Amino acid sequence: MLDKIIEKSRIKSPWIYHINAGSCNGCDIELIALLGPRFDVERFGVKLTGTPKHADIVFVTGPVTAQTKDRMLRVISQVPDPKVIVSLGSCPMSCNVFKGSYSVVGPLEKWVPVDVSIGGCAPKPEAIIDGLIKALDILKEKRGVK
Amino acid sequence: MEVLKTLLLQMFYVLIFPGFLFCFVFGMFLSGIDRKMVARMQRRIGPPITQPFYDFFKLVGKDHIIPRKASKKAFLLAPIFGLISIVIISVFIPIFGFNFQGSTADIIVILYLITIPALSLVFGGSSSGSAYASIGISREMVTMLSYELPLVMILLSIGKKAGAAINGNVTFSLADIGKYQSLYGIIISKWALIPAAIAFLLIIPAEVGTVPFDVAEAETEICEGPLVEYSGLYLGIYKLTQAVKMFVMGSLFIALFFGGSGFSNIFLNIILMIIGVIITIVISVSFVRSILGRLKVEQTLKFFWTVPTALSAISLILVYLKY
Repeated sequence: MLDKIIEKSRIKSPWIYHINAGSCNGCDIELIALLGPRFDVERFGVKLTGTPKHADIVFVTGPVTAQTKDRMLRVISQVPDPKVIVSLGSCPMSCNVFKGSYSVVGPLEKWVPVDVSIGGCAPKPEAIIDGLIKALDILKEKRGVK
Repeated sequence: MEVLKTLLLQMFYVLIFPGFLFCFVFGMFLSGIDRKMVARMQRRIGPPITQPFYDFFKLVGKDHIIPRKASKKAFLLAPIFGLISIVIISVFIPIFGFNFQGSTADIIVILYLITIPALSLVFGGSSSGSAYASIGISREMVTMLSYELPLVMILLSIGKKAGAAINGNVTFSLADIGKYQSLYGIIISKWALIPAAIAFLLIIPAEVGTVPFDVAEAETEICEGPLVEYSGLYLGIYKLTQAVKMFVMGSLFIALFFGGSGFSNIFLNIILMIIGVIITIVISVSFVRSILGRLKVEQTLKFFWTVPTALSAISLILVYLKY
């Protein structure tokens, strides 16, 4: 009974946390704009949390720079299970125009298991919402520690 | 047999009706209504009203991490103490003439118990060993300091007004205040106490910790302050405590200013109180939350020690001058 309620609740209340791994701030603005009146992802129960310990879905933006890599790994390891990692924008997917730079150690898949990748520079809001819903499906599959 | 019956009745009061179960369900719905109302006021669709239930049960099913630096026992026990004390307050608040716990000084008990959830936040935050939490607890203590003074003055002015008519003294009993209101009309109709009612409405957001006065849990500056290291079930208990606190403050407002005998039927009285609490919370929490930004710490202290303190002082003086 309780397991069923928890199972249902898990996809109804995704709290997101957002890590900037050397992003240009474009994707970050797009993510925050989703919480506004036009797209209003709060209708799915999304809440932007201030600390990784409250989060279910982690959005990573930016080509992973050498400076941010260790910090990003430490923050991601603090997110309690079950968690889903979403790479937002072209930068964490392929390093975009920063590929080959001396300070960039990406792409993100080299360091953490990525569940959903959203392309675009910056991604369209519809694409981000689509990625969010896909992330919810993956969250449903993952069994948590009780 | 008589002892057993009283014991069972007390258990019922604490665990089922005005106590834990009712507070859990109605507090969660109240929190959901608040989120929905804020969303509608900002022209958003907003989450469903059942959203706080989903949040709570998701947090129950999630892993919880205890930091290595934390002192484990205080870290895990603090949220539970906060929840227990706020549930016990709900037993002391009468529903339109129906007293669950008649006592001569229940306002003083409520005043003591109402600080414990804030104190549990302070204990839990300080035992988590995080730098953000230590900033958060200092801010939480400043907030506590700022709303306690006007709250005590409001309760004192109501106690004087009701007590002068009942037994000639200041009364600290919610039952006496209810009796006064059923004899002489509700307290909000006495014009000397209207400033006190406005001050009480301004205190509710600070007590609950919502936006203009949520300096302690500012998620954009200090990562949710004392809650920064909490996760899973224990975070869920804090969220539940906050929801129940919203319900308790709303019903305390109704009992103090709109009390009296109500209808003869207890179920009608409960429905009346629920509607009253919803209206109170929408006016004092949701409306304020949707139009204002967060104040600074000094601004919170300055605001509370000027506007609500002055309003409650006006009421206190007027009541002592027998208006």
